[in-house]
Parts: sequence; structure tokens; C-alpha cells
Amino acid sequence: MLSDELLSVHLQELRRGTVVLACLLILRQPNYGYALLDLLDQRGFAVDANTLYPLLRRLEKQGLLTSDWNTEESRPRKFYRTSDDGVALADTLSRDWDELHTAFRTLKGES
Amino acid sequence: MTTASTLTDRYVEAALHRLPERQRPDIEKELRASIADAVDDRLDAGSDPAEAELAVLTELGDPARLAAGYADRPLQLIGPALYLDYTRLLTALLATVVPAVAAAVGLVRTLQGGTALPVIGDTVGAAFTAAVHLAFWTTLVFAIIERTSAPRRTPIRPWTPAALPEPPSRRARYGELVTETVLFVLITTFVLLSPVVSTETDAHGEPIGVLSPWLWETGVVYLFLALVVATLAFSFVRYYARWSVPVAVTGSIADLAAAIMLIWLAATHRVLNPAFVQAAGWPSSVPQWIDTGLVVLSVGTLIHIVTQGISRALRR
Repeated sequence: MLSDELLSVHLQELRRGTVVLACLLILRQPNYGYALLDLLDQRGFAVDANTLYPLLRRLEKQGLLTSDWNTEESRPRKFYRTSDDGVALADTLSRDWDELHTAFRTLKGES
Repeated sequence: MTTASTLTDRYVEAALHRLPERQRPDIEKELRASIADAVDDRLDAGSDPAEAELAVLTELGDPARLAAGYADRPLQLIGPALYLDYTRLLTALLATVVPAVAAAVGLVRTLQGGTALPVIGDTVGAAFTAAVHLAFWTTLVFAIIERTSAPRRTPIRPWTPAALPEPPSRRARYGELVTETVLFVLITTFVLLSPVVSTETDAHGEPIGVLSPWLWETGVVYLFLALVVATLAFSFVRYYARWSVPVAVTGSIADLAAAIMLIWLAATHRVLNPAFVQAAGWPSSVPQWIDTGLVVLSVGTLIHIVTQGISRALRR
């Protein structure tokens, strides 16, 4: 039997990086931190808040996201949006993901 | 809700003070909004305000970790990119500097006429201090490099198989053995002949040996030659017999003893014959230089013996 600890380590390893792709895809529609956290969770990408918030900043610094403060509502929120570079990266990563998916199917003999 | 808001304030403050000044206002606004959003969500679900805040902050986790994420700061002292360079440098430093310091301190304290126990104590103390300093400063330097060098560096020089440690070939070691034997014969011949064969003679036409007569009067010269013979013998044993810890340790002890003895003789100016120096008309600086040269040579030998012993033992 696999121990829970071992299982979670390997799941974490496998999922590392998928959050970036998910963010880049979702943020083609501008959104803010907490709403994005919620959205990711609903779409099956479980991520911790303390991972996501710094990640958004990092992607912004890398020029993959742009941000704007929305001060129209009572609570000012920082809205992130995928930049052109981000869209290009998302395309490349998606293609890679598809190739991996195909490769796995072949490995498992499904062709 | 005064106490609850204080908790958020304290959390935000704890995270922010670990961040660069210019990032703070923006991150603070966003972090507060995110926390407030999360709390509202829980309130809508019917949670108690204080409980909601507590749950949200607990979920966010240690503010230090969050701040490290924001600042893209490593949560390790020395990361995988530098770790191997770090351990290699530290090992090399410890294996060379510590024995050298120990030998130097032990020698100086012995020459100052210390008794055995305090000399050993000082030597061990000095070696320990040197090791602690080396470890601390090397670690500090690498921790600084880890935090300052360009983001996500590549190794400075790529590793190639050429960097693999080479086991000394039998042929090369045989060359060493031959050299050692030749040197042994030359040195022994020189030492044994020096009292009777010399360029200088005294008033009666008797030769003045280049080496101090004190060595023969006390028999120290025979002790020294015995050690040199033992050293050579162990070189042969090491070459022809299988490497084993007892052989290696005994051989090293013979090497060390010969080297230390030479250091002692040279440092106390008991190698050269003062009468010979006078007869040959050498300036007084020459014996000084010869003695210093012998000490340096012997200390070099000491370091070589110790590092080689350590690296052999590590390779087993």
C-alpha cells in the first residue's frame, strides 16, 4: 500500500507547473486573487492561497501577466490579465501537455 | 471586531516587514483585500467573524513563508546549485588548513618548551578554532552568494567526466616509489658520509662535517635515519601489499614522525655544523635560510601526508 505521505509527494510533483498553465488560461479574462483561487478550485486545480498570491506576482514580474487596480468597487482589487507573452506561453505549454497526454496513452497501450 | 482586525493587522505587518520597502504598499493592499474577500466568503457561509478570520489566516500559513514567496527568496541556506561547490571547498579547506594550523601551533609551543599536556591542549584548541572559523565563513559566503547571485543561475563551470578523480595508476605509483628510493639512498649516503667527507678541513687536516656533530653525539641522527628507513619500508608495503587501515595509519605515523623530527631539528638549528659554516665563510643568513627551507619542506610534507591519508580513506 502507498502511504498517504508518499502519494501526496508524487501528486504534488506531478501537478507542479500545471497551476501556471491554468492561471494563464483562466486569466485571459481579467480576475483578482481571491476569485481566481476560488475559480481554480472549482475547475479542479487545488492550490493554496499562499502559493497562488506570490505566483501571480512572479508571473507579472516575468511579463506573463499584466495588472490593474480596480478602484470602482468599495474594496480596491488588483486584477490580473494574461499578457501577449503569457498567451504565447500558454499555447506552447498546452501543446506540450497534449503531447505528453498522447505519449502516456501510447505508453498505456491505448494508442 | 476590534480584536479580529488586530489579528489581520499583525499578520499583514509580520509578512510585510520581511519585504523590500518599495513592494510593501502594493502587496499590503492586495493581501488585505484577499484576506477580506476570504473572510467575507466565510461570513456568507454563516461563520462567526472571529472564527472566520482565524481560519483564513491559519490557511494562509506562516507569514514568513508567504513573504519569502513574494520576495522570491530561497527558503534554504545553500541551494542545490551551490551545495556541491560548497562541500568541495569546505572539505578541501578543512583537510589542508586545519592540519597545517595544528602542526604550526604544536611546533611553536613545543619549541617554547611547553610540557606535553598543555601543548596537546593548545594544538587541539587551535585546530578546533580554525575548523570552526573555516566552516562559519565558508558557509556565510555561500549563503550570501545564494541570496545575491542572478536569479536561477546555471553552474559556473559545467561538469565533465574529466573531473572524475583518477585512481593513481600502478605505473605512476611505481615511479613515486623509485623516486623515493633514490632520494633515500642519496640522503642516507650524504648523512652518513658527511662527518668524514667534507670540502672544509680544520687545522689538523681533519674534515669538518657539514652536519652538526651534536646529531652523532646524541644518536639523534640514527633515530632519524631509522624513521626514514621505516618510511621507505612502508612505501614498499603500501605498493606491494593490499591497502589496509593499520598499514596506512602506521605508514603515515612513520612519515609524520620523520617530518616532525626534521622540523624540530631545523627549527632549533641543530642540523648544520656551526664550525663548517664558519670555515666555509658563509654569511650568517645562509644557515637561517637552509633551516627555514627545511621547515617549509617538512610542513608541506606533513600537509601532503594528512590530505592524502584523508582522501584515500574517503575513497574507500
